[in-house]
Amino acid sequence: MSTKASRAAARLMISPSVILLLGWMLIPLGLTLYFSFLRYNLLMPGDNPFVGLENYSYFLTDPGFTAAIWNTLALVLGVLVITIGGGIVLALLLDQPMWGQGIVRILVIAPFFVMPTVSALVWKNMFLNPVNGLFAHLFKALGLQPYDFLAQAPLLSIIGIVSWQWLPFATLILLTALQSLDSEQLEAAEMDGAKPLSRFWHIMLPHLARAITVVVLIQTIFLLSVFAEILVTTNGGPGYASTNLTYLIYVQSLLQYDVGMGSAGGVVAIILANIVAIFLMRMIGKNLEA
Amino acid sequence: MGKITLSQVTKSFGDVQVIPPLDLEINDGEFVVFVGPSGCGKSTLLRLIAGLEDVTSGRIEIDGAEATELPPAKRRLAMVFQSYALYPHMSVRKNIAFPMKMANVPEDEQARRIESAAKALNLTDYLDRKPGQLSGGQRQRVAIGRAIVREPAAFLFDEPLSNLDAALRVGMRLEISELHERLATTMIYVTHDQVEAMTMADKIVVLRAGHIEQVGSPLDLYRAPRNLFVAGFIGSPKMNFIEGQTAAAHGAHTIGIRPEHIEVSATEGLWQGRVAVSEHLGSDSFFHVHDTGLADVITVRASGEIGFRHGDTIFMTPREDQLHRFGADGLRL
Ligand SMILES: Nc1ncnc2c1ncn2[C@@H]1O[C@H](COP(=O)(O)OP(=O)(O)O)[C@@H](O)[C@H]1O
Ligand SMILES: [Mg+2]
Repeated sequence: MSTKASRAAARLMISPSVILLLGWMLIPLGLTLYFSFLRYNLLMPGDNPFVGLENYSYFLTDPGFTAAIWNTLALVLGVLVITIGGGIVLALLLDQPMWGQGIVRILVIAPFFVMPTVSALVWKNMFLNPVNGLFAHLFKALGLQPYDFLAQAPLLSIIGIVSWQWLPFATLILLTALQSLDSEQLEAAEMDGAKPLSRFWHIMLPHLARAITVVVLIQTIFLLSVFAEILVTTNGGPGYASTNLTYLIYVQSLLQYDVGMGSAGGVVAIILANIVAIFLMRMIGKNLEA
Repeated sequence: MGKITLSQVTKSFGDVQVIPPLDLEINDGEFVVFVGPSGCGKSTLLRLIAGLEDVTSGRIEIDGAEATELPPAKRRLAMVFQSYALYPHMSVRKNIAFPMKMANVPEDEQARRIESAAKALNLTDYLDRKPGQLSGGQRQRVAIGRAIVREPAAFLFDEPLSNLDAALRVGMRLEISELHERLATTMIYVTHDQVEAMTMADKIVVLRAGHIEQVGSPLDLYRAPRNLFVAGFIGSPKMNFIEGQTAAAHGAHTIGIRPEHIEVSATEGLWQGRVAVSEHLGSDSFFHVHDTGLADVITVRASGEIGFRHGDTIFMTPREDQLHRFGADGLRL
């Protein structure tokens, strides 16, 4: 792609997809922005007057808003920590030669193929249910009082469920990265007198830095918008204890048929996501440079 | 100190025995080269000595102390890998410092050793670069620097020059030889290139399929190869082998004569043939001679002034005192 002609041709050829993508993103974004300035409630038909920042002030002063922000951050951070920590451990284990390696790897990856609603339902009914769940049985077998996870520790339970779903992704990426590590480097470190822990810290972890960055960035994008798991398990409750921003917007707009308010919430979520993105790129983006 | 003794060492990967029982003694301060064709087990042998592979049976002693079960770090050996195995995210300085950091050498002592290694290896200007920003030869020197600062009992090199271009290879060969002169530390050097072996070694170990075919000084191997394999492997161009009546006349199954031990003439000689290819290097000329009735091709080496061309008839006379005679079992008679 060095000559002027080939560059022009390249631009011409990618233009349809660029235009399509722009339309795909800009039109909804524009409409959301537009609606967020209107009083637009489906239960109150009539004209939709322009009300300026009224929707925003209602959304931002909503009693659930602060809780939702903190819950969103806790959810993202919690899942990131668990999946990356667990992913590194699993990747290290799966990288060892062992019997039945192929099957074990498929088993590890399996949760990723289960759709969020289903996995949340399975967790809710089969594991966490205080009467019939496996954990309840386990507690009873140990002579303990069954623990109602979803009522007592709703956010932690959801973090657990979402981590279970994303652990395979992190493991897979980290495992591939680990396998690309030159074994002579590890042997050199071994000859240099590095103990297993030092080898991990000084050789493996720096090698994994880029893969970890990729996992953090991709997961953050998806974790900011966790929704199905909350809807089928706790409905955001008790109170606002497990409401994240996505869920709050759903409550505000769909449950109250308030398009204006929902749109304002959406714009707030976009701004928040961008703040997180800028923050992340500042912090770890340099790992992506070759 | 760096005396290494292997007794009855074997190594198998699964059912495949890569190293059959092998005995070898490496003396303190010696420059020993393991040479042999690809896949003959040179690297495996080196890794057994380093402790990166466990021996299947047998004993390894370093400085008279049992080392068979010792982990690599405890053997006081430093290895330079073929891929250099530098740590890509660390600067040259940190790479060189790494083994000392692991051994908890005090900071000022570390700095001092890095300084002197960098000076000896011409790396002073590159200490703050990452390995990715260095040329092949510089990376090689960093790998050597990382080995030197540990002040090991012996250095192990696994084909360290095979990733370098020809000119650099000659230069690094000299540098490593000089390093050996200066440090007088035992060095074990693996290569498949017999020129490297001949030029650098105090003692060459010729390996084939895990077997030691011969151990000796470069000139020993050149003058008195123990069998056909060593005779063919050491020396460039290869020794000519002649079987049949000519060999029988010398009371041997096979006779060998090196290209440089054949006199050539345009008019008279013992053997006659037709030049197929002539290579003129300036200082020397190599002629590949066909239709001699002795072997498919006889290679001769003559001084650069002699100019036969393709198709010329050539007469050759071997120097009787330089004939090598081998029995039917391939061993020297
Ligand atoms: N880890 C291993 N597992 C199985 N076979 C191996 C392993 N390492 C080396 N080998 C085999 O051992 C033989 C010798 O290998 P190597 O020592 O690397 O040869 P060289 O360095 O002389 O080229 C080869 O046939 C190779 O296939
Ligand atoms: Mg090798």
